[in-house]
Amino acid sequence: MSDDSPMSANLPKNSEFSDEDIVKSHVELSKNKHEPTQNFLIAPLVFVFVFGCLIFVCSIQLAHSTNFFRLHPPVEIVELSPEEKEALRLERKISSGEKIFAARCASCHQANGLGIEGQFPPLASSEWVSANAGVITNIILKGLKGEILVNGKTYGTSAAVNMAAVPISDREIANVSTYVRQAWGNTAPEVTEEFVSAIRAEHSSKSDQWVGDELKSMFLDSFGE
Amino acid sequence: MPKDTPDKIIDRSAKLVFSFFLSSAGVWLLVAAFFAYLTAAKLTDPFFLSTCEFFTYGKIKVAQANAFVYGWGGNAIFAVSIWILARLSQAEVRGSVFLIFAGVIWNLAITCGLLGILDGHMSGHEMLEMPTEVWPAMLISYLIITFLILVIHRSRQIRETIAPQWFILAAILWFPALFLIAWHGLEINPARGTLQTVLSMWYGQSLVWLWLTPIALGAAYYLIPAVLGRTIDKYYLAIFGFWCIAALAPWSVVHHLEGGPVPIWIPAIGTVMSIAMVFPIAVASTNFHATAFLDIGKVWESLPLRFVIFGTLSYTVSSYIGVVFSLPAVAKITQFTIINEFHFNQRVYGFFSMIIFGAVYFALPRITGREIPKGAKSFHFWTSTFGVLLLLLAYLIGGLTHGVLAGQPTLPWSSSVIQSIKPYFLITKFAFIILAFSQFVFVFNVWRVIFPNPFSCCSSDKKGASA
Amino acid sequence: MNNLVKFSIGIFLTLGIAWLAFVVGARTQYGDLLPSPQILEEDGSVSPDAELFPFELSGVAKQGAEEYAALGCVTCHTQQVRRVETGFDVKRGWGKRPSVPRDYVLQEHVLLGNSRIGPDLANLGLREYSNEWMHQHLFEPQSLVSTSLCPPSPFLYNEISEPVDSDIEINSGNQQDSSRFVRPTVRANRLVAYLQSLKQDYELPEVSYVEEDKDDSADLVVENVTPVTSSAPTWLQNQIAAGKEIYMKAAAGGGMCFTCHQTNGEGLAGQFPPLAGSDWVLGDKNRLIKISIYGLMGEIEVNGVKYNNVMAPPGIPPGSLTDEQIANVLTYIRNDWGNSASAVSIEEVAAVRASLKSRPAMQMFTASELSKPVQ
Repeated sequence: MSDDSPMSANLPKNSEFSDEDIVKSHVELSKNKHEPTQNFLIAPLVFVFVFGCLIFVCSIQLAHSTNFFRLHPPVEIVELSPEEKEALRLERKISSGEKIFAARCASCHQANGLGIEGQFPPLASSEWVSANAGVITNIILKGLKGEILVNGKTYGTSAAVNMAAVPISDREIANVSTYVRQAWGNTAPEVTEEFVSAIRAEHSSKSDQWVGDELKSMFLDSFGE
Repeated sequence: MPKDTPDKIIDRSAKLVFSFFLSSAGVWLLVAAFFAYLTAAKLTDPFFLSTCEFFTYGKIKVAQANAFVYGWGGNAIFAVSIWILARLSQAEVRGSVFLIFAGVIWNLAITCGLLGILDGHMSGHEMLEMPTEVWPAMLISYLIITFLILVIHRSRQIRETIAPQWFILAAILWFPALFLIAWHGLEINPARGTLQTVLSMWYGQSLVWLWLTPIALGAAYYLIPAVLGRTIDKYYLAIFGFWCIAALAPWSVVHHLEGGPVPIWIPAIGTVMSIAMVFPIAVASTNFHATAFLDIGKVWESLPLRFVIFGTLSYTVSSYIGVVFSLPAVAKITQFTIINEFHFNQRVYGFFSMIIFGAVYFALPRITGREIPKGAKSFHFWTSTFGVLLLLLAYLIGGLTHGVLAGQPTLPWSSSVIQSIKPYFLITKFAFIILAFSQFVFVFNVWRVIFPNPFSCCSSDKKGASA
Repeated sequence: MNNLVKFSIGIFLTLGIAWLAFVVGARTQYGDLLPSPQILEEDGSVSPDAELFPFELSGVAKQGAEEYAALGCVTCHTQQVRRVETGFDVKRGWGKRPSVPRDYVLQEHVLLGNSRIGPDLANLGLREYSNEWMHQHLFEPQSLVSTSLCPPSPFLYNEISEPVDSDIEINSGNQQDSSRFVRPTVRANRLVAYLQSLKQDYELPEVSYVEEDKDDSADLVVENVTPVTSSAPTWLQNQIAAGKEIYMKAAAGGGMCFTCHQTNGEGLAGQFPPLAGSDWVLGDKNRLIKISIYGLMGEIEVNGVKYNNVMAPPGIPPGSLTDEQIANVLTYIRNDWGNSASAVSIEEVAAVRASLKSRPAMQMFTASELSKPVQ
C-alpha cells in the first residue's frame, strides 16, 4: 500500500496488513524465536560476541578511569618531623594573629607597630609587649586607661583602649598577642589559649580598665630595669 | 459509508485529540523555527536586534530549545503516541475532553514559561530553564494525559504487546519520573554545588534519550511494518534493544561532564556506558534497515516511510558519531564546542522530527480523510532533508574546527578561534531559513487538512500549496 | 512486557538505578562539602584560625549572578577549568589550576555551562580587566574586541548626552568620529561585580596550582587586554594615584584611611562603614569634603546599614590634610573598588572650607547635621 497513490474517495485504502495483523504477527515472532532464515544462527552469535567484547572493554575502561570512585584525586601526604610540625603550627598561629591585628588593632597602633607619637603607643620593642604575657592579655581583655610610659615617652592623652566592648575569643587573643610579641623584631614567647583562659577567669569580676601602674606592679619582675 | 472497519472507528475517536495536539505542535514548530533563525542570525551579526533585551542571544537560544522540545516535541508526542497506541490496542480514544483540557494547560504552561524566559526569569538548569512557577502545571497536565494514554493501553484487545508499544509507553512514563527527580533535586530539596549541574545535565540529556528518542523509535517500529506490509526483520532483537536503551541511556548521558569539577567516576561511567550504547543502536538500525532494504522500492515510493528511514539512518550514523565523541581522547577536543549543537539538532531535527513528520503524513489522511498535496509533501521532504544535512554538516565541521583551534593555546580566542567558525554560523543561518520555510509548508498544509477552508474544501488535493 | 505493572516496574528500576548513582550516590559522596583551608591539620581537621576557601560572594555579586543567569550568559560561557589531562584550559591561561567541586559549594546557582562560544569565565576576576573595560564590553563587546560574537547589551545602560567622569565612554569601531557616553544601570553594576568576583585563586588540600611549563607560557597571547583605567584622562589618573598614596600612607602627611576603611574599601562589618559602593561616597561631594575637614561622629546609615563610631578628622596629625590632599583622596575613593564618580577639585574643597570658616576646628559633624539641606 502506498498512501501517495491518487485517492479516489479521498480516503486511504485498507491495507491487507492491518494494525491487528501487525500486533499478531510480531507477537508470533517473539514467541517463536527461530526466524526461518538461513543466517538465524549467525546473527545472534555475532551479537553475543560483540556484546561480550563490549562488556570486556567497558570493564577495563571503568577500572582504569574511575579513580576508585573517590571524590578527589589522591594527594601525597607529606611526612613532617615534630619540629617541622611545631614550626608549621606557630606559623599558622602568627598568620592568623596578623589578620586579627590588621583588622582590629592596626588603625591605632599602625601596621608597622610604631603607633602614632603622642597618641597611640608603639608595640614594636615595647617592654609592655615583651613583659610577662599576662600584661598584654590583661590589656586586651579589659582595656587600659591613664598615662603610661613607653620607650621613654608618655602616652594616654587620647581615648583609652576599651577592648571589653568588643567580643574577642581566647584563641584570637592568644593568636594576636603571639603575633605582636614576635613581629617587628619582638622576640617574646608565644601566648597560649589556655593561658588567656586562665587570665580571663582570674579577673572575670573586674569591671573597669586597668591602670598602667597597677599592671606593672602585678608583673614587676618581668619588666626589665 | 456504513462498512466501518475497527481502524476507522478508532481513527474517528482520535480525530479531535490528534488534530488538537498536531495543530498546536505545528504552532510551536514555527515558533521554534523563528527563534532558531534569530539565534543563527545573531551569531552572524551580533548587532541584530541587540537593543531589545527580550531577544538577547542567551534567552532566545534557550527559548528555542524549550519551544522545540516541550512545545513541538511534547504536543507531537501526545498526538502520535495516542494514535499509535489506540491503533495497536484496537481501542477507541476516550476522555477526549480531558485530553484536550490537559493539552490546553500544557500549552499555556509552556507559553508562560517561554515568556518567563524571555522576561529574564530563567532558572539556569539545562532544559528546565522555564520559571519554576509553571512546572506544576506542566506536570499535572502531563500526568492527566499519561493516565488517559494508559487507559487506552489497558483496554487493548490483544494482551500481548509489541515493540512500538514498549518504546512509546516507556517514554510516556519516563518523562514524569525524570521531571520529578529533577524538580526534587533542584527545587524542593536543592542540591549544593556542582551536584546541581550533574542533576540538570542528567535531566537535560535523559530528556532527549528517554523521551524523544523512544517515541521516535516506537513510531518507526510501527510505521515500517505498517507501510511495507511485512514484519520487522530480526524482530527478536528488539526486546534486547529496548532494555539496553532503558538500562544504558540514563547512565551514558553524563559523559558530557568529562574533566569538569565533579568526581571523576561520574563522567567515566558515562563514557563507558556510551560505548556500550553501540549495542542498542546496532539493534535498532538492524531492525529498521534490514526490513526497509528488503523492499527499498516501496520505501522510496511512500513518502512517510522516506521520512522515517531518513530519521533512522540519521539516528544510526550520528549515534555512532556520538559514541566516538564520548571517548576521552576525542572529547578533549570536541567538548564545549558547537558539536553540542550538532548533537541537539541531530536528535530533535534529524531524527525525532523527521520520524514524527513521517508519522503525521501517515496518520493524517487516515484520521481526517483528507490528503495533503503530494507536491507539498515532496517539497517538505527535500527541503527538510537538505536543510537538516546542511545544518548538521555545518555544526559537525564547524565544531571540529572549533575544538582543534581552541586546543592551541597560542591562538587568541575571539580573533582566531571564533573568527574561523563564523562561516559555519552563516551556513546554519541559511539552513535554518530553509528549515523554517519547509516547516511553514508542513504546518500550513497540516492546518489546511485539519481545518479545511469551507470555500475550498473540494480542492484540497490540488498541487501548489508550496507556492 | 505484557503486564503494564511489571513493565513499569522494569523501566522505573532501570531509571532508578541511574538515579541512585548520580543523584543519591553523588549527593552522599559530596553533598555536604564545606569550604576548607589550603592546608589541613595533620589529623585532617580544620584549624580554627585558618582562612577558608572559597569565599562567600558579596551581596552585589550574588545579585549579579542572578542577572548572569537571567541573561543566559551560560549559553556561551562555561565556568569550569578542566583537569589538565582532559583539556587545554590551564594552558590557555583560563585558570591556575583545575576547578574542583569545592569551588562551587557556596554558589546558589551553579552555572558551569557546557558551551564555549565565548571564553571560560571561571577566573575572569583574575584577568585584571577594569570595571570600565567590563562595562564597555557589556555595552558593546565589538568596541573592544572587533571580532567578538557576544551580543551587545545596551539595555543595561542609559545613553548620556552630558557625561560626568563616572560615565563610560564607548568608541565604536564603525563610528570613530564620535564617542558616546553611557551610564551603567544598577543591573550592569551588579553584573560587573559578579564577573569581577569570579576567581579561583586559592589552593585546596585536593588541588594545587599547575606547574607552569615555562616554554609554553612565553607564547601565550593575551587578547586585547586594555590596561586598567587606560581611558581615564591623565589628570584624573594622576589625581587618583596621588589620592591612593594619601589613603595608604600611615605617616605624617598621610591620611591613614585604610586602617579603618581597609585597603579594599569594604570597611569592617559593624565597625567601619564601607567606601566601595557607598551611597555617601558616590553621593554629594560637599558632605564628603565636610567630613574630610572636620571628621564625623555618631550614628550613620551607609547602604542601609547603621554604624556608630567616631572618625577623627583624617590626616596625621588629625585635621592636617590640605585642600589638595582632600581633593585627591576623595577623587581616589570615588574611583576605586568599582566606584566610579566625578572627581573632586581643589576649588570645591576650598569653597567648602571657606563656607565653614565660623565652625571651630576639629568639631566633628554628625550624620544628621550633614543630611540637612545645604544652605
